[in-house]
Amino acid sequence: MSYLKRRELLQRSLMAAAGSTAFAMLPAKMALAQSTLTGGSLLRGSPDYKALVCIYLYGGNDSVNMVIPRDTAGYAAYKERRKGNDEVNHPSNLAVPVASLLPLNPTQGPVNGGQYGLHPAMTGTKAMFDAGRCAIVANVGTLVRPTTKAMFETPGTLLPPELFSHSDQSVLWQTPAANAATRTGWGGRLADIYRADNPNQVLSMNVSLSGDNVFQSGVQVAPYFMNTYGVEQIDSIQTSQANCLPATDWNARRCRTFKALQDLGATAGTAGHAFERAYVEKTQRSINTAAQVAVAIALHPANDVKFRPFWDAFGLAWTAGSTNLPELPELARQLLMVSRVIASRTTLQMNRQMFFAAIGGFDTHDNQNADHPDLLRELSQSVFAFYQVLDTLNASESVTSFTASDFSRTISNNGDGTDHGWGSHQLVFGSKVNGNRIYGKMPSLAPRASNPDEVGYGQIVPTLSTDQYAHTIAKWYGYNQATATDPIFYNLQYMTNAGGILSIPGPDLGFMQAA
Amino acid sequence: MKFPKISPKIWLLTAVLALAASDASAQLGGDTIFKSSMNSGPVEGPFSPEEAARFLQQATFGPKLAEIERLTQIGYNAWFDEQFAATRSEHLPFVYNLIANGDNNVFQNERIEGWWLNVLGKNDQLRQRMAFALSQIFVVSDQNGAVEGVPTTLAHYYDLLSRNAFGSYRTLLGEATLHPSMGRYLSMHKNRKPDTALNIQPDQNYAREIMQLFSVGLVRLNNDGSLLLTGGQPTPAYNTDTIRGFAHVFTGWNYSTCVTPTGPNQTWHWDYCGTRAQTDPENQDYRLQRGWLEPMKPFGEGSAFVDIYHSSVEGPIVTPAGAKQLLNYPGVSLANGILPSGGTGRNNMNAALDNVANHPNVGPFLSRLLIQRFVTSSPSPAYIGRVAAVFNNNGATPAVRGDLKAVIKAILMDVEARRPTAVNRGKLREPLLRLSQLYRAFDAASRTPGRMKEYTSYWMAQAPMSSPTVFNFYLPNYQLPGEITNLNLYSPEFQITTDTYITRIVNEFGGKVFWQFQGNTSLPPVDQWNPTLIDIKRDLSFANNAETLVSRYNLLMMGGSMSTAMSNLLTAHVRSMPNNNDDDRLRRVQDVLWLIMNSPQYVVEK
Repeated sequence: MSYLKRRELLQRSLMAAAGSTAFAMLPAKMALAQSTLTGGSLLRGSPDYKALVCIYLYGGNDSVNMVIPRDTAGYAAYKERRKGNDEVNHPSNLAVPVASLLPLNPTQGPVNGGQYGLHPAMTGTKAMFDAGRCAIVANVGTLVRPTTKAMFETPGTLLPPELFSHSDQSVLWQTPAANAATRTGWGGRLADIYRADNPNQVLSMNVSLSGDNVFQSGVQVAPYFMNTYGVEQIDSIQTSQANCLPATDWNARRCRTFKALQDLGATAGTAGHAFERAYVEKTQRSINTAAQVAVAIALHPANDVKFRPFWDAFGLAWTAGSTNLPELPELARQLLMVSRVIASRTTLQMNRQMFFAAIGGFDTHDNQNADHPDLLRELSQSVFAFYQVLDTLNASESVTSFTASDFSRTISNNGDGTDHGWGSHQLVFGSKVNGNRIYGKMPSLAPRASNPDEVGYGQIVPTLSTDQYAHTIAKWYGYNQATATDPIFYNLQYMTNAGGILSIPGPDLGFMQAA
Repeated sequence: MKFPKISPKIWLLTAVLALAASDASAQLGGDTIFKSSMNSGPVEGPFSPEEAARFLQQATFGPKLAEIERLTQIGYNAWFDEQFAATRSEHLPFVYNLIANGDNNVFQNERIEGWWLNVLGKNDQLRQRMAFALSQIFVVSDQNGAVEGVPTTLAHYYDLLSRNAFGSYRTLLGEATLHPSMGRYLSMHKNRKPDTALNIQPDQNYAREIMQLFSVGLVRLNNDGSLLLTGGQPTPAYNTDTIRGFAHVFTGWNYSTCVTPTGPNQTWHWDYCGTRAQTDPENQDYRLQRGWLEPMKPFGEGSAFVDIYHSSVEGPIVTPAGAKQLLNYPGVSLANGILPSGGTGRNNMNAALDNVANHPNVGPFLSRLLIQRFVTSSPSPAYIGRVAAVFNNNGATPAVRGDLKAVIKAILMDVEARRPTAVNRGKLREPLLRLSQLYRAFDAASRTPGRMKEYTSYWMAQAPMSSPTVFNFYLPNYQLPGEITNLNLYSPEFQITTDTYITRIVNEFGGKVFWQFQGNTSLPPVDQWNPTLIDIKRDLSFANNAETLVSRYNLLMMGGSMSTAMSNLLTAHVRSMPNNNDDDRLRRVQDVLWLIMNSPQYVVEK
């Protein structure tokens, strides 16, 4: 499609929306979009749509109980490490019964063999895995250099700072290097590059459904926050209506004075102040963004039939036209809102986006058997429904989702839970994933004394680095500059097969199809 | 004379005169009238309540009417003397006492609570403002796994900053370096000498940051902060050898509470040194343990096995063997900036800190950072140069270098602070200072005396000692893309002014003004919600008069800097609102306050 044709289409769609009285603000936004388009910021890349969805599991997901050995020897070792360590005082057995596992029969298993199954709560993930739309990446974690157990135990080895600490490890999982001094995330750094591809230069390329985060923070790009109900808008004045109309509204007067003060600050030339002008521009931009998104997603209401899979995935009743549908779990609500924004991608004129969704509760030091299965179910079924919706939206090839978490947990049982670990298994979803495969090497679950992968007290040394994991996804997104001097993923140069330490060396782990 | 009792008409007159004071004659007229009502006034100023209010915005956590009045009467010099002598308020006691009294729920939110109670309620405003500025330069943050669970050590570190706020830079640098929270935050704690067999090299983290952020910066500066060029290029202030040299000096330090070694190979005592003193009870709460509250010590100091982890003779220089390259600059007292091999951990530390503190960059580098926190984001080279000159020599006999008391007075009394003329002067107000100003101006308090919970990170991306990294909430050299960059201005605070935080700040201030006020009978029960409440009903008495209301808030919130056009808009707005009863008048007060607090003219402090 030629650029001009595309632009014409965009205008037409905006015009069509403006025909409805509900979109009184759109003419202003159209002018805004026009000025952006004619202002020299033309489409830089291809007009295809691509989005990343980071699904962050705060607290450290116990992936030992997510991907579980099911061959006889593997399960026996797992069961031994996960049994209650004191049958009298701490009777809680964390081992998931082998008969209940959802068996995986991947076309490519882990490099060290073995058969695995998913936690029984993850039927949606099992279906996606079998359909080739989900891959498992084994034992990935924060690494500054490839590291062995022996190296870990040698003082002076370069290690990520503050291993096993939530606040630090959750940051390092989101930065492009595990010893990053600045808290810019790899998503934010990519957005600094790719935001120029969006005709809409008002809405941030990075939208968060879960507040501030490192992943989406770039040097120039900051995440735009939404919540599961929509956008955050200035609520003391009627900002969603153009020119503070209707004039009879309870706060129309306040709205008019607010806007008049803004106009005053926008005074050009020597009469004004550059900081006031910049503040006004930012405030206006924030108001415009909120109004723009609110109008766009209103075209795709949550109770539209195309979003029904979210209710079906959790066995909840869905009734056509109902405005009082049963409440979905948190992650489903977040991904539903992501779906609504993706459904609005043409109206919003966005063709490069990144989303951040997150749920907590994974810090299962105790009550793990009660809490963890529900969290895995929420993850599995929310993502399953999300991709059914994306199929309807013709976007499942354009949207890649991936999990991330502070760390996995100790392979050992602390009584009725697990403590902070290191290496973890992660899931990648989408139609462009080389799915139905397990990438990398599964760690040993042997007893501590004989376990070659275990350091400390049940923590596992990763055999893939978070940088490799991130870069493989970034490469699909279009980023392909991994050289010895890659400015973003600058530790990748060390992630080689030197020493035979990493289960898969190099910058591309292979779980994504070509961009 | 007490301001609240002043007739509204006098207030109006003063305000209008001040508004017209853009040329000298009008200023003189304002002075004359105000002074004639005062009979006499300080020769150095302030010459009007507006000037006083403007000064107090820069020097305190926000003006109060009584303090505007008092400053106008006594003048700047006496005010400084009072502030320098004021009793220092401390942050540690609040959290310490909560824990000591058995409250288990004491973490960083409670430390921040203590901060709010102090900056709102205590009189040592200038000292606390200086400590807050220093906390954004000598950064230690609770956003770090090593210290996040220990609110006491951060409160104690903050008290270190306030104790040295009017003292010597060199002392401040030394105490900050040896504080256990800094030791943990930038990993000088337990940094050990090289060990080839174990493949250990000293950690360079603190060596880098003390130079880059706390003292010198990356490149050599002239005394006015401009770049010292060599062959047309910036001159690096140090190189890798310097970083390695300092990294070796900064070895061998651990908590004050370590067991004294009785042999040369007791790595156990070094590796597993806890924060509890041997003489303290075994069940002592970890947050009260002395290792978190006392300066770090050279491991083994006072024993025969002192400094066994200090790199005394293991410096990186080959010839002379074992020496360490420190900063080299004109007039450096160590020959070529090289610390000879040998020496104790403590003596080498002192030599290294002297070497840093005497670098000619420190004056301009630190002066600029402090000016940005108090007055303006883009100070002129001349302004930086004047303050740096005071840093280099405070004018006393004998002259003292690094006298922070003289430096802060020079910053605030400079002509560029008191009578600025640059078009784009001033700065975007820090979010926290916007909130503290509102709270102080309107005598805020929670419904539980002595408690005050604020969760500002969520809605304004700023909370005391809670920056995301050692690089603070924003960078001193941040330039917002667009006109600000094109004009080559700096705009640190714009770095956290994002779409979402603008919306949240506007909304939260809405909540505070329209909802969280004292005497609001619609608030939920205190056990369900206990926000800080402002006292706006006190101003209902003059809310019938639009001009009075607007000019009062112009003074209190904007130091009289409101433009005539803005004042006219607000006055017309108030006049258009009903005025039949106190509910009407409350709405007038609320509207004006909210509109001011979210206006571009207010947000940019000039």
